[in-house]
Amino acid sequence: QRPFSLVTTNLIGMLADPRELSQTSPEIRLPPNASISPNPSANADPSYMRSTLNAVPATSALLNKSKLPFALVLTPHRSLKEGDETIPVVSDTVIARCRRCRSYINPYVQFIDGGNRWKCCMCNMSNEVPQLFDWDQEKNQPADRWARSELNYAAVDFVAPTEYMVRPPQPPVYTFLIDVSHAAVQSGMVATATRTILESLDRLPNRDDRTKIAIICFDVALHFFSISPGSTESSMLVVSDLDDVFLPKPNDLLVNLTESRAGLEALLARIPEMFQESHAIGSALGPALQAAFKLTTAIGCKIIVLTASLPSLGAGALKNREDPKILGTISVDMFLFSPSYTDVATLNHLPHYTSGQTYYYPAFSAARPIGFEGIIRVRASKGLRMSSFHGNFFVRSTDLLSMPSIPIDQSYVIEVQIDDSLTAPFAVFQTAVLYTSCEGERRIRVITLALPTTNNLSELYASGDEIAIATFLSTKAVERTLTHKLEDARDAITNKLVDILGTYKSSMTASGRGASAQLAIADNMKLLPILSLGLLKHVGLRQSAQIPPDLRAYAQALLSTLPSQQLIPYIHPSFYSLHTMPPEVGTIGEQGVIMPTPLPLTSERLERHGLYLIEDGQTIFLWVGRDAVPQLVMDVFNLPSYAELRGGKATLPLLENSFSQRVNAVIAKTREMRRGVYRPYLSWALSALIQDRADQAPSYAQYLTQLKDRVNAATS
Amino acid sequence: MSFEDVEERDGIRLSWNVWPSSRIEATRTVVPISALYTPLKEREDLPPVLYEPVTCKGTCRSILNPYCQIDVRGKLWICPFCLQRNAFPPHYKDISNTNLPAELLPKYTTIEYTLSRPAPAPPVFLFVIDTCLDEPDLKALRDAIVVSLSLLPPYALVGLITFGTMTQVHELGYAECSKSYVFRGGKEYTPKQIQDMLNLGAQNRATPRPGQPIPQNFGAARFLLPVSQIEFQLTGILETLQRDPWSVANDKRPLRCTGVALSVAVGLLETTFANSGARIMLFSGGPATEGPGLVVGPALKEPIRSHHDIDRDTVKHFKRATKFYEGLAKRAAENGHAVDLFAASLDQIGLLEMKSLANFTNGAIVIADSFTTSIFKQSFLRLFTKDADGHLQMGFNATFDVQTTKELKISGLIGHAISANKKSANVGETEIGLGQTSGWKISALSPRTSTAVYFEVVTPAGQPVQSSSRGLIQFLTHYQHSSGTMRLRVTTIARNFAEAGAPTIPAAFDQEAAAVLMARIAVFKAEIDDSPDVLRWLDRMLIRLCQKFADYRKEDPTSFRLSDNFSIYPQFMFHLRRSQFLQVFNNSPDETAFYRHVLNEEDVNNSLIMIQPTLMSYTFDTPPQPVLLDSVSIKPDVILLLDTFFHILIFHGQTIAEWRKAGYQDQEGYENFKELLTAPVTDAQDLLIDRTPIPRYVVCDQGGSQARFLTSKLNPSTTHMSGGMYGAAGAGAGQAIFTDDVSLQVFMEHLKRLAVGASTT
Ligand SMILES: [Zn+2]
Ligand SMILES: [Zn+2]
Repeated sequence: QRPFSLVTTNLIGMLADPRELSQTSPEIRLPPNASISPNPSANADPSYMRSTLNAVPATSALLNKSKLPFALVLTPHRSLKEGDETIPVVSDTVIARCRRCRSYINPYVQFIDGGNRWKCCMCNMSNEVPQLFDWDQEKNQPADRWARSELNYAAVDFVAPTEYMVRPPQPPVYTFLIDVSHAAVQSGMVATATRTILESLDRLPNRDDRTKIAIICFDVALHFFSISPGSTESSMLVVSDLDDVFLPKPNDLLVNLTESRAGLEALLARIPEMFQESHAIGSALGPALQAAFKLTTAIGCKIIVLTASLPSLGAGALKNREDPKILGTISVDMFLFSPSYTDVATLNHLPHYTSGQTYYYPAFSAARPIGFEGIIRVRASKGLRMSSFHGNFFVRSTDLLSMPSIPIDQSYVIEVQIDDSLTAPFAVFQTAVLYTSCEGERRIRVITLALPTTNNLSELYASGDEIAIATFLSTKAVERTLTHKLEDARDAITNKLVDILGTYKSSMTASGRGASAQLAIADNMKLLPILSLGLLKHVGLRQSAQIPPDLRAYAQALLSTLPSQQLIPYIHPSFYSLHTMPPEVGTIGEQGVIMPTPLPLTSERLERHGLYLIEDGQTIFLWVGRDAVPQLVMDVFNLPSYAELRGGKATLPLLENSFSQRVNAVIAKTREMRRGVYRPYLSWALSALIQDRADQAPSYAQYLTQLKDRVNAATS
Repeated sequence: MSFEDVEERDGIRLSWNVWPSSRIEATRTVVPISALYTPLKEREDLPPVLYEPVTCKGTCRSILNPYCQIDVRGKLWICPFCLQRNAFPPHYKDISNTNLPAELLPKYTTIEYTLSRPAPAPPVFLFVIDTCLDEPDLKALRDAIVVSLSLLPPYALVGLITFGTMTQVHELGYAECSKSYVFRGGKEYTPKQIQDMLNLGAQNRATPRPGQPIPQNFGAARFLLPVSQIEFQLTGILETLQRDPWSVANDKRPLRCTGVALSVAVGLLETTFANSGARIMLFSGGPATEGPGLVVGPALKEPIRSHHDIDRDTVKHFKRATKFYEGLAKRAAENGHAVDLFAASLDQIGLLEMKSLANFTNGAIVIADSFTTSIFKQSFLRLFTKDADGHLQMGFNATFDVQTTKELKISGLIGHAISANKKSANVGETEIGLGQTSGWKISALSPRTSTAVYFEVVTPAGQPVQSSSRGLIQFLTHYQHSSGTMRLRVTTIARNFAEAGAPTIPAAFDQEAAAVLMARIAVFKAEIDDSPDVLRWLDRMLIRLCQKFADYRKEDPTSFRLSDNFSIYPQFMFHLRRSQFLQVFNNSPDETAFYRHVLNEEDVNNSLIMIQPTLMSYTFDTPPQPVLLDSVSIKPDVILLLDTFFHILIFHGQTIAEWRKAGYQDQEGYENFKELLTAPVTDAQDLLIDRTPIPRYVVCDQGGSQARFLTSKLNPSTTHMSGGMYGAAGAGAGQAIFTDDVSLQVFMEHLKRLAVGASTT
């Protein structure tokens, strides 16, 4: 086992090079033979599960001394891009679990007693190997144990046998809540929403023809639609009693997608006409949500809200957020269309507790694969305990997270506490997600992460994963805004940073106590200050009276749920100069499209004749200098000159010239890298250039000086 | 003129046709001066009067009539009610003794004006349909309503509310799909809430942008539309109307929120068509089990209340429900809207609690076992009977005012109306029925609607009205005609006063009218008081009347004689005492409410049939003849036809029944037997022709279980208790009736003794 070697870097005067962001986190240096499999996939890929520390402190004293946070970042269901390894499926329902701690067999167990028993890597319990473990049930012949996926892969899916069924798998259920108030109709939202739903019907998971759909329109009243199976006619049932929401019918409101397809299509096509004349002002979104819960409470569902106005009617609904339990197995997705104030902050509580997602724009796809009725439990080696949980779910028991649905690409942060000193050379964390797949199959996704343990503070610093730490800081900061002032949330980030830097200075550098002109940090964490500054300046957290509350709340929702891979560009956008890119950029190289080198986020790099691309994982922004030569404008935009360019949302043309094709290739690659849905968003400002000084927010250099001064003050 | 002729002309029957000239004497005549008046009595000979009535300029607002003194030369008339001198309007300038307008001709003491002011809106029919019905019932009901649509004038507005667990108001004017507003069944909604939830107010609406038209689908027009425009859609909705979709457990009644449905109906109409003619037609197959107006809980183990339960005051929901429906009834009546109750159930549906809806508004009540029965179908469709001009024989949103000359004051009205609170000078102190007013509102009128109006004579003590002077009463009925016009029916009557003891007073006693008018008082009292009190009151009044008008020697019952025009009055009272109107325990509370409702609707003849059913006897070799409503009339070789108004019963004596079972009627040589069998059936059909509601038709044999309908109505002259009391004639011929009731004979014996002041023991 090679020790981590600590390299100290002085931040002052150092350029924050964004290239470093793509570097991998500190290597996990497990003792030899820790794993029974030589497979490189035997340890968890950081995209599924990563730790803020890639070496586990053996004692809580050591952890406390370091001031470093110890937390896991989980994204159990992330989207797969082309070329990604798919997660192997164990389908023979032979699932070996520890009798004592109930963890699943994994590459870090040991076989003993001539292979008849296995020793649990978490609690050391000796367990019997299941009878059919070495038997190929399909071919009905002995099988090679060592080829079993769960012994070779850190991430596997088990097909759950019947005893894992709490109840028979429920059909996927979607409830669409459509705002049909005057404002929504006039804005064209209703037409867009219904057309999009109509187009999505084919893409909704519906393997056994069991998927169910409900459509509820709302303005000052709730409009339910009853469709009897096979009928193309629907009838509208209006419930105006918002104080006391009820279902107007026991049946035919939640209809089978297949049986009632014709009726649904006819209805969706007619909804815009139906409410064309609507002059209703007001939005009973709250009661609509209550109605959706009542409609689907027996089976659980995904609620998709399409709204253009501020919920104004029916007090009851938003109270729900204080009592997430009543939501049970239901998750809410919000699609917010409002050009004016929509109180996303309040509405966000629903997705927060029900593990849905909030989208500020209509670019949703109801067909995104999801699982339902998820339960997550994270187990760890003896002595380690999951102490607090952050993300869109609610904690059912101390260490069991329950989620009505499992959205893709959503991350959760779990803090780890060290209760007892660790004596083993490595520790194991295991995430198990029991869920119902879209196809109605009950599955268990198990992800196992093994990390070495250490008694050494310098090793601990050397193992810090700045990306995971930034994710942790982001989630914690947003959570803090719910209970504290925004300023407090920002301060908490800087304070944590000062803590870490101060301790590092006093324990790891020669200057120890006393003033220093330097600001020292472990080299593997040197981007923490720039990422922190990105957070402080982010639209979700920055100090400004100009930010519409909706936009702020939406950004916060992303800051606390995006997986690291998407979160990092969100707080530290990628910035490329396109007019100066070398000729090979945008062409296909060995690893696919060759990307330009990212630039530091500072306006110093902007040239007035240049063309730049900035993207934050949500939006791609092209910046054209006002002195750009007409040929550049022509090559990229097919327009004669800069003067002809119009700001706003645009589709970049693909033109018959190599420059245009290369730019398009770079953009396509960027999209692919971010995996998630790209949401067109136009009101980007130069605030993405976080190294610049803006309003009261410091430049990067100023921020480092502030940090240094505070560290010096703290250590003097 | 006979009483019947007067009734034919003016639609009126009076208890007394010559009036005692002093208050004291009026009190001594026991039966108050009173009138049973049928405002819309059919008069095919009435001329259409298309000009405005000439109204007294004085406070009385009475209408020019044949009893007015006119001055042809001075072009003046003197109002007989307030003595105001009125100039004739200019267009009466050519008036002369040989050229009089119709209203001054003696034959037009009753006249009907068509006013120039049009009705505020077309008549509205709002169907309120229970969907907790069996499939056949629901289908039959849907079919009947669809047929009724074709009977409505094309401009009539129709609306639809359906209810079960919840209440749905159908937005008939919505073209995109079938659309309804749903109200929770268990909740009491305020009128304001109903208005808001149906979006009838202007709140929560964006103002149309300049240049944009105000949307058409606003307000009432969304729910109530002309039948000509909406018949197709409405028929479509009715034909696809499903049973209430909520499941019902085996030990439960279906949840039926009749109260919410009615309150939504009342709320909808009062917001949209206040003071304009409308009918809410409720069709219900069972009791309200949910929400306000709940009659019985949903659990089947809780039985629906009986008269005994109400008597013992052990009914859980009775008072609350009654109060709830009374509140609705009052609102409907004040807005001129009628509520019809069509009950189709083998059990009760809570008509007792709901009766005020029909009683305050003069809605119809029909009880049937099922909507599939012809009792329901025909009774319902008969409501839409049309006159010769093709107009519905239905008046809407009526106000009914009574004028009197100064010697007469109004005590009150008994009938299906509410007080209009008109405290005119001619309102008397004595209160009978709905008093303290000279005007009433009647939401719906049919040609059968008969109101009882009671009067008192007011003369200062010792100053009787001059004998042979004349008192006048004018009845004014303003109403909305189904043709869309407003009408005013005016009936003016004059009767002479006579001094105390004058023989003209008893000579002008109409004992039939008096019996019916007293019956209405008795039933009115019975609704409030215990029935024994009411019976004692009736007895007391009868005894006092006999004391006053019979010939007898004191303390000698054998000397007791009543003149012809009093002779059958005691018999009416005897049967009234035994009738279902006052003896409620053999009927369900719903039936009682129904029977009493009908009694308060009908004219003298029909009411008398109810009080004392008619019995016809058919036998060989004699033409059919009326026989005594007495057990002596039951004989083996006769067929009896009983008409109780509510039931028409054909009863085959034992021999007749045996022959019929043996099939003699189909054999040659027995044609006369066949004729005998068909004669009462033909006569029964005649009775059914214009009877509303349709009576139950029963055919039974002597000794059969159905025969109890007959025996319960017969005078028990031959009970098992009375064996031999009246000699062999009774005991031998008739059939013994098992009852403890006293017979008419015993009753008369008692009456005579009490009247003459003899000891009764
Ligand atoms: Zn274990
Ligand atoms: Zn007058």
